[in-house]
Amino acid sequence: MADPVIKIKNLVKRFGDRAVLDGIDIAIPEGKITVIMGGSGCGKSTLLRHLIGLHQPTSGEVWVDGRNIAGLDEKGMNEVRKKFGMLFQGSALFNSMTVGQNVAVPLKEHTDLSPEIIKIIVRVKLELVGLTGFENFMPHEISGGMKKRVALARAIALDPKIVFYDEPGAGLDPITASMIDRLILDLSKKLSITSVVVTHEMKSAFRIADQIVILQKGKVIQVGTAEEIQNSKNAYVQQFIQGESEGAIPFKQTSEAYLKGLLDT
Amino acid sequence: MKEICGKVGRSTFLVLAGVARVWKLGTQVGRYSLTGFIRPKTIPRETFFRQMVLMGIDSTAIVSLVGASVGTVLALQAAYSLKAFGAIIYTGSLVGVAMARELGPLIAAIVICGRIGARMAAELGTMMVQEEVDALTTMAINPVRFLVLPRVLALAIMLPCLTVIADLMGMLGGYLIGITGLGINSQVYISKTIDALVLKDIYTGLAKSFIFSILIALVSCHQGLSVSGGADAVGKATTQAVVISIVLIIVVDCLATAVIYYALPT
Repeated sequence: MADPVIKIKNLVKRFGDRAVLDGIDIAIPEGKITVIMGGSGCGKSTLLRHLIGLHQPTSGEVWVDGRNIAGLDEKGMNEVRKKFGMLFQGSALFNSMTVGQNVAVPLKEHTDLSPEIIKIIVRVKLELVGLTGFENFMPHEISGGMKKRVALARAIALDPKIVFYDEPGAGLDPITASMIDRLILDLSKKLSITSVVVTHEMKSAFRIADQIVILQKGKVIQVGTAEEIQNSKNAYVQQFIQGESEGAIPFKQTSEAYLKGLLDT
Repeated sequence: MKEICGKVGRSTFLVLAGVARVWKLGTQVGRYSLTGFIRPKTIPRETFFRQMVLMGIDSTAIVSLVGASVGTVLALQAAYSLKAFGAIIYTGSLVGVAMARELGPLIAAIVICGRIGARMAAELGTMMVQEEVDALTTMAINPVRFLVLPRVLALAIMLPCLTVIADLMGMLGGYLIGITGLGINSQVYISKTIDALVLKDIYTGLAKSFIFSILIALVSCHQGLSVSGGADAVGKATTQAVVISIVLIIVVDCLATAVIYYALPT
């Protein structure tokens, strides 16, 4: 595997007495696609918010492109943020702006390029995600899948080294979801972008991942390639990838057991 | 008793914490405004002009209508009392001074509070819920600079303009009632209005409307950016933005009037 561009060392995040992330150690290789998986409430979204600097850890280190972003001030964090793009689960497009204006936002804010050049770059980025000619559409005029692609075009507007994806296939039909997967693969291969994908969709993960990280109750329980994860002996991993209701996590839980499970993490 | 003291203490703490947060937001906006003079790119121009149109031009009709209605009512009510003293010709003076000093700024601010303050809180609140504000942060764009600054600046420019419109429309409403319903000579009405008005009436009214604009924009944006959760939280923020802004406008108006007309030397 290539050198890690993101290194997470002993990351702990507590909300009150509850440790949502409990000693996470992950190395994310450069230019590869790493998929972070786990059941609902396992801490994967919280982990992602630490990677993009929206949460500060209780303890531990988060190294992004050679810089520890834990405890970094806003100015320093913004310098790091210019090196990555982020695709949000709900696309997070600005509804008062057209598709083209959305993609142009980071370019206008962080470069001194002329409006003509920005227009050309916007067209190129939209072409990369297969949306040529959609510059003047408003977000409410396009489908959910198209919104995700616009958000992706916006995320790669400044040619970032890293792109984070939060549930890229959520709320999409299987065909559109596989198109998004193809885009992630294409961008990773063509532009050598490091991709970090948070998802709980197995098909998607096995399709795109170079490395899969499985989280359970705020802890990393397995890291490996798609094949290694598929052949895992871990009961929870097997239950998760088979999508079975009974296994290491029982189908029926009392409320006390559920709460105990939360507090034990 | 202990319970009441606890509730009062908690409420006072919450109010003070809210004031501190709005103050902090205000200082950030102030800093960015100053930076905007040196580096114009600091102010997102597209949003700024769009907000100016939305707050100013699109609100002109409703502010005119309410201003004219208030001027009309004021003339009718004033004439009733003035008639008893045989001073009905002073209706124009009363309407002119009351509109310029007090009612113009107040009416424009309250209309804008309902129309624009609510909109700002709901818009920013929805942006919080839909992760648009997080998206800005991850793009290394400060949400206060990108979202709050253009709104505060646009309202600070447009509310005094709307106040002038409310003043004029109020005086026009009073004038129409004066010459048609009260039988006052047109030229007498106009000359009495001009005689009564002094420059201080106009600029103190405009100064008040400027302060109101900052209050409305900061309180509404703060409420919007404090939203966490879903639609319920957006609704709550919108209501609170309007209620808090109106209460603050009236309290600040009381204080400003007392200071300008009684504490400061004439």
